[in-house]
Amino acid sequence: MSARRLLPLAGAIGLAVLGFFLPRLLGGSTMVYDTLVVIAIFSAMSYGLDIVLSDLGEISLAHTAFFATGAYAAAILTARYGQSAWVAMAGAILASLALALVLGLITLRTREFAFSLVTYAAAIVCMNVASNWDFLGGSDGIVGVPPLDLSVGPIALTAGQSFEFWPYAYALLLLTIYFVYRFRRSSLGQAALMVHMNPRLATMCGLDGNRVRLQVFLVSAPISALAGWLYAFQRSYVGTDLFDTYFLVLMLTSVIIAGRGLLLGPLAGTALLMSQKSFASLGAYGDKLVLGAILVAALCYSPRGLAALWPRRRLKVVEASAQASSVRSQHG
Amino acid sequence: MNLLQQVVNGIIIGHAYALVAVGWTMLLGAARLVNFGHGQMYMVGAFAAWWFMRMTGLPYPVAVVAAILVGALIGAVMQRLLMRLTLSRDLVSLMIVTLGFGQMLEGAAGLTFGPRPQTLASPFQSMTLHFGAIWFTVQDVILVVAAIVVFLALRLLLNATKFGTAVRMVAEDPALTRLAGIDIARVYMGIFAFEGAAVAFAATLVAPRTPILTSMGFDQVVTTFVVVVLGGIGSVAGSYVAGLSLGLFTALFGALVSPAYTTAAVFALLIAVMALRPGQLAASANFAR
Repeated sequence: MSARRLLPLAGAIGLAVLGFFLPRLLGGSTMVYDTLVVIAIFSAMSYGLDIVLSDLGEISLAHTAFFATGAYAAAILTARYGQSAWVAMAGAILASLALALVLGLITLRTREFAFSLVTYAAAIVCMNVASNWDFLGGSDGIVGVPPLDLSVGPIALTAGQSFEFWPYAYALLLLTIYFVYRFRRSSLGQAALMVHMNPRLATMCGLDGNRVRLQVFLVSAPISALAGWLYAFQRSYVGTDLFDTYFLVLMLTSVIIAGRGLLLGPLAGTALLMSQKSFASLGAYGDKLVLGAILVAALCYSPRGLAALWPRRRLKVVEASAQASSVRSQHG
Repeated sequence: MNLLQQVVNGIIIGHAYALVAVGWTMLLGAARLVNFGHGQMYMVGAFAAWWFMRMTGLPYPVAVVAAILVGALIGAVMQRLLMRLTLSRDLVSLMIVTLGFGQMLEGAAGLTFGPRPQTLASPFQSMTLHFGAIWFTVQDVILVVAAIVVFLALRLLLNATKFGTAVRMVAEDPALTRLAGIDIARVYMGIFAFEGAAVAFAATLVAPRTPILTSMGFDQVVTTFVVVVLGGIGSVAGSYVAGLSLGLFTALFGALVSPAYTTAAVFALLIAVMALRPGQLAASANFAR
């Protein structure tokens, strides 16, 4: 392995290790741990939307439903049926895949605003069903989700308190980022970008646009669902508030605010937004107002994200390499 | 169960749906803009009227006018914010901005009006009219008449005035309209202000039927989507027919099947229409007809 590839790898590992000790570096109070856990979970949730929004170029408004599906699956399997967290994890993935398949097939031929309208309506219908169906706890939700227990054989892996929870949330975040990184280099990721940027060229290259769209949608859903799975254990309660537009706007804002397509963009965006909520909160309504205002301001004054405000060579390199790789895959 | 009563309810609710959707139909038809803040604008319209009555003690009809002005102002502010994106036709960003705008309205409304449910008291809500076994309120009559008047007026405005011609030109091709010497920023301003005013007007007429909450914008918007999509995106006459049909559908579904799953049934209807006539989801050429 050449030094050119080794250096970024070492940098990434260094950053990942540093990130793990971040709560301790910030003082290690419960407040710090809680905030960072929530940042990790909500960033993971946002990455699900990120690959649909940034790579496929469609605005899915149903990712709150995937997030909630993961949380509900975890809560029902552990609190009601006494299953382990691992089974709940599998349940969250399968349930979100099923929902994504149905939604993906319904929206297969819709584009742009029709796609967004239908996914938005679908999220509302999911909330409607969750608040009326007793199996999903109705409007009371499901209480009494047990503490997270991922023990395998003799290795005890449990988390109750917020500082015990951090390693799991952080691991989920790292895995998600690594997954998105791999996705962008996979043939599906490249295909998604081409279908987004130049659909006609994609067709000429023998790519089936609808198929790529459906696949990306299916890949994105379990990412948000896994975040929901962990969130259910962190809160030990799930309810219809998971469908709130707050989560939707939070996801969209975190993906957009730093800059679409940047690997660490959603993480930076979520960190910024959740820090405001934790350390400079203006109450629930004030926070909604701030969140909405940030989203509106970001898009109206810097649609390409905060990163575009200080144009650096590095960003240009990333864009150039993205173009080069799409050219490569066109020829390949 | 009186089926005829349900049909009457359906006609009333249908006119409510159509009236709530009319501003958005115009916005979508003329500016190709999907407004996800529409539900929150509805909520603010209802609360503006409530707040005005509470603060000034003036009667309901004056509050309706005040709410319309607030609505038009919100529409105008939105147009100022979105100007650059509208002109560049960046539809993806526009859609997300309207979501953020709705979130802002909800937060601001929560701060201003508080978290408790309120009642927008209309004196016409308690006046009931009975015809045999069928009954409805004077408020319902006003709602139906107002919806018909607004739709007819809009049709007239679009087809018989100079401003209407400009709106139809902008809908076809904004760049060309500008070349024709028309200030398209002002046309867009008119369209947005109409959207705001129309949804606020609708809210003041519809909201007295139920308690109002600052969080009600979220699911309010789903029926509006369906009305707009069923009517053929951006078609004015289509929205009216679609609103009416949807009203009858929800009234009968709620009465005969299950009131709790009405939203889900409406969504199923949307899917069915999309599957049967996918072409309808393309921007319609039938605007202003």
